[in-house]
Amino acid sequence: MLVLAVVFCLPLFILFSVALKAPEDLFTDALAFPTDPHFDNFSTAWESNTGRAGGLRTALVSSLIITGCAVTALIVIGSLCAYVIARRPGKLTNTLYVLFVLGIIVPFQLGILPLFVMFRKLGLIGTYLGMVVLWVGILTPLTVFLYTGFVRALPRDYEEAARMDGASTWRTFSRVVFPLLRPITGTVAILTGLFIWNDFFVSLIFLGGSGRETLPVAVYSFVGEYLTQWNLVFATVIIALLPLLLFFLIAQKQMIRGFSGGIRG
Amino acid sequence: MAAIELDGVGKVYRDGTRAVSDLNLSISDGEFVVLVGPSGCGKTTALRMVAGLEEISEGTVRIDGTVVNRIDPGKRDIAMVFQNYALYPHMSIFENIAFPLRSQRISRVERRQRVERTAAILGLTELLKKKPSTLSGGQRQRVAMGRAIVREPRLFLMDEPLSNLDAKLRVQMRSEISRIQSELGVTTIYVTHDQVEAMTMGTRIAVMRKGVLQQLGPPQEIYESPQNLFVAAFIGSPGMNFVRATLVPEGGELACLLKGQQILLPRGVVDARPGLIEHKGSDVAIGIRPEHLSVSPVEGPTLSATVLRSEMLGAERLVHLSVDASPVMTDEMVEAAEDVDPTALSTLRTESIEQRVTLIARVDPSVTATVGEDVLLGVNAARLHFFDLETGATIA
Repeated sequence: MLVLAVVFCLPLFILFSVALKAPEDLFTDALAFPTDPHFDNFSTAWESNTGRAGGLRTALVSSLIITGCAVTALIVIGSLCAYVIARRPGKLTNTLYVLFVLGIIVPFQLGILPLFVMFRKLGLIGTYLGMVVLWVGILTPLTVFLYTGFVRALPRDYEEAARMDGASTWRTFSRVVFPLLRPITGTVAILTGLFIWNDFFVSLIFLGGSGRETLPVAVYSFVGEYLTQWNLVFATVIIALLPLLLFFLIAQKQMIRGFSGGIRG
Repeated sequence: MAAIELDGVGKVYRDGTRAVSDLNLSISDGEFVVLVGPSGCGKTTALRMVAGLEEISEGTVRIDGTVVNRIDPGKRDIAMVFQNYALYPHMSIFENIAFPLRSQRISRVERRQRVERTAAILGLTELLKKKPSTLSGGQRQRVAMGRAIVREPRLFLMDEPLSNLDAKLRVQMRSEISRIQSELGVTTIYVTHDQVEAMTMGTRIAVMRKGVLQQLGPPQEIYESPQNLFVAAFIGSPGMNFVRATLVPEGGELACLLKGQQILLPRGVVDARPGLIEHKGSDVAIGIRPEHLSVSPVEGPTLSATVLRSEMLGAERLVHLSVDASPVMTDEMVEAAEDVDPTALSTLRTESIEQRVTLIARVDPSVTATVGEDVLLGVNAARLHFFDLETGATIA
């Protein structure tokens, strides 16, 4: 167990250790503890990239906007879609469900070229709206799949109680069902958020050269430029990781409950 | 307050399963009617059809004369308490109780007043800020009641609301629900498979079996004058004792012959049940409640029996006795017995092979009964029930 822990912690140790070292220390003993921690590496990395098109600050804003909007849209669309599929079984909804599942199986990279052509015609290349639409399209099948499984396992009693209490279908969904979906919403948010936040390929193709690149693309361009300054590269990676870590810390309880399933109360 | 009328109501599911058949029920304003029966008898389906949660396949449901078959559940002005309470886990107790009022767009001030008033009635005032997951079973049950009461509906529907509580709390909540219902005077339909609950709570009981209403009447009437073998076997704890007997003429009178022993029927018994004459020479099922059997009687007909077990319950003693006779093995009997004891069928089979029947006598605790002792079992012939073995109907 201890060996496993060491194996898992080693990359993190290297990441933080290198990010805190002076450039000259990197070549003497790269794996040693930083004797004189250089916290200014972080400010240098942050400052030295600002002002550039696609710099770190802009990239962070881009990542936040695209991830935030896409995840929100996925949650709204996915939960509503899944509610209808789970609660109104019929030929139409069953076919829709199968189509969504197929959407998970087929790799989205296969459709990148026609999507790119279409997005260019619609003027969505290099825009936040375009990226949000693209991500919602790519990840809706997974979202619907996750939500549908959860809604199907949810006791109908809550909805029936709400109906008896005079609530409309919308009010039943928004006030009773959707809050009960919180665990799976946490899971969806984390899974899709991670996917979008860490994506390099789609962002590079659809946002490349627009000045609205996301963090992975910005880090990549930084690596090319400061190839010898690994301490600044690693400091940048840590800055890019922070929002994600923060989100995970806040939502981890929901995510675990979502995976394990069930409602208490 | 409302009067409910179920007229030929039936439910057939898409796969062809029939859950309820031709249910006719007329419930007066303010009445407390209990639907009782074993699992799968259609009582919950019937309740859900009244609620509007289940589509009605046949017949009509009327509330105060208005057919409500196609009216949305929320617009029927009915409140329902679910078996697992269905409290919204993400809302506080206050929000749970206030939820139906918000749906009715009642002002915030009035909402608060009504929730607080309801909470006071149910002793929930201290719990209003808590979440359902922090409450005990009994408290949750009260909250579910509160959510029903706060709307001041014209009809309460309760679907086995006490089945998740422990025995002690169930007894307590039983009387509390009865108290609240009589105070508010709201018409109530209560579903349970617990016949003790049915007997103690309902002003009238509707006994159901396989989707068919077997008998409707006040608890006492159901207990004392069951209309068929199933009702007789299902109602009562311990249940009615049954043996198979042949009606034979005996010196101008009628007697029940059980494996060499016989019970002479007094003239009054036959006079009150002229149908017995038609069954002369035939086998019938005879039933008798445990309190109408006595150990070491002074007078009246008796049967030779052996004491199997004696249970001292404080205020009474239950004596289990073995009598040489054939058990009654009809479908109704088996179904009613299995509801109490899942091994009932194998017990009945064993008794059938061994041609002996176990009877239970409810006697005074001072009566001594030693296990293995041969005793004379007194039978109060006037309180015997007779059933046709083919139809299961009471012979009257």
